[in-house]
Amino acid sequence: MQEKVLVEDHIRRNKRQTIYVCGLMALLFIVVVFSIGYIFFGNILISLIFALPIALGYIAITYSISVSAVLSAAKARPANPLLREEKLLIHRVEEMSIAAGLPMPKVYVQDSEYINAFATGRDPKEGVICVTTGALKKLNQEELEGVIAHEMSHIKNYDIRLATITIAVVGAIALMSEILFYSMFWGGAGRGRKGEGNLILLALAILFVILAPIFARLTYLAISRRREYLADSTGAYLTRNPGGLAKALEKIRDDHPTVKPKGSKTVAPLYISNPFKKVDASSLSSTHPPINERIRRLRSM
Amino acid sequence: MLLWIGIIIIILVIFFLLIFFGYYNRIIRLENRIDNSWAQIDVQLKRRADLIPNLMETVKGYMKHERETLESVTNARAALMKAKTPQENIDADNMLTGALKSLFAVAENYPDLKANQNFLNLQDELTNTENKIAYSRQHFNDSVLVFNNLVETIPGKWFAGFMNKKTKEMLQIPDASREVPKVKF
Repeated sequence: MQEKVLVEDHIRRNKRQTIYVCGLMALLFIVVVFSIGYIFFGNILISLIFALPIALGYIAITYSISVSAVLSAAKARPANPLLREEKLLIHRVEEMSIAAGLPMPKVYVQDSEYINAFATGRDPKEGVICVTTGALKKLNQEELEGVIAHEMSHIKNYDIRLATITIAVVGAIALMSEILFYSMFWGGAGRGRKGEGNLILLALAILFVILAPIFARLTYLAISRRREYLADSTGAYLTRNPGGLAKALEKIRDDHPTVKPKGSKTVAPLYISNPFKKVDASSLSSTHPPINERIRRLRSM
Repeated sequence: MLLWIGIIIIILVIFFLLIFFGYYNRIIRLENRIDNSWAQIDVQLKRRADLIPNLMETVKGYMKHERETLESVTNARAALMKAKTPQENIDADNMLTGALKSLFAVAENYPDLKANQNFLNLQDELTNTENKIAYSRQHFNDSVLVFNNLVETIPGKWFAGFMNKKTKEMLQIPDASREVPKVKF
């Protein structure tokens, strides 16, 4: 038996760990830009002039269109207060926004048999919470409250911004290494280099750019898993009732609709449980921690 | 030499001013957060009191033989309207919560009433305001805790003393009503 851990300690420890991961991400990104400069031009300065603006521009655009992109990928629609189920959803969100001391987020509904929910938005002032119709039908109000508290915590802990930035950075790194790959294929890279360039260094740079997207992806997944635990504990702190979310997660675990989940896989980490994966294994490629471990931690609070 | 001492003094003064501004702003910000939390509670208490006459109007026709239950709700509402201090408000609200709980329990015996769309609607609204009050109260107490920790520990204590700020009272919630937010949905 693990001893009971204070919710506040959970939150503090998780926050510290996330800062390290973020720093690593930024470092990775900078090294990729420099490596590309070295491979292409044998000169880091030129890469600053070319690669950096392109990469930053890409990140900025992805960041600015993220909310509407995510909502349309999920085919979400605004909650309708005339339907009782959706009115009660709005009520629960209002209550949790008061508990968290945050402005009221926009409430969306996604038509899906699966029990799921996600939060998005760029910062807590313009948060969005989206819940599936399956969740509205299958969860009782206590469980729904737990799920909303979890999503509200993603907003409160700035996870929504972090997720958006990480998705953008991972995308930018992948884009750059792809460009490098194709240009090397066509023999463009290295043409501007002087003959005496260090071959070992060049090989290392190329290897790094190839491996960077994999690193970035793994880092992102590590963040995503850790953030789920943090949101679970913050959510329990908001409702003072860890059992609500624990019961909801149990329902999600035992619920197996026959239809295939809809929507895009890129937004999978945003959901409360990964809609594309039902196998309960903790591996490096999971976006979410194993659901049984989450339930166990909530029960031990 | 004199120049260096002068520069060091200026740096130190700026350093201490920045710390002072930081603490000053933090104390004021926390105080505003507490005031705002209370305003939230107040808004919800008013809204709740406003919903009661509607509820009485709806229920009256069905519950002719439940005078006692109805009266206790009306009395609790009257106490809430009279309440002045935050603690009086909270106490009256707890009374109202208890009275409403028994009213909704009694309503279980009236299938016609339970099928009434208006009643169902009011029940949802009242649950909503009740939860909102519970969570605003929680947020209020959380905010007071952060404020009190700041003005009771060093160096916050010195700044609080200078600004003439004292610790604030949390809202006392009686043990029996701790479970209030978990009303039957």
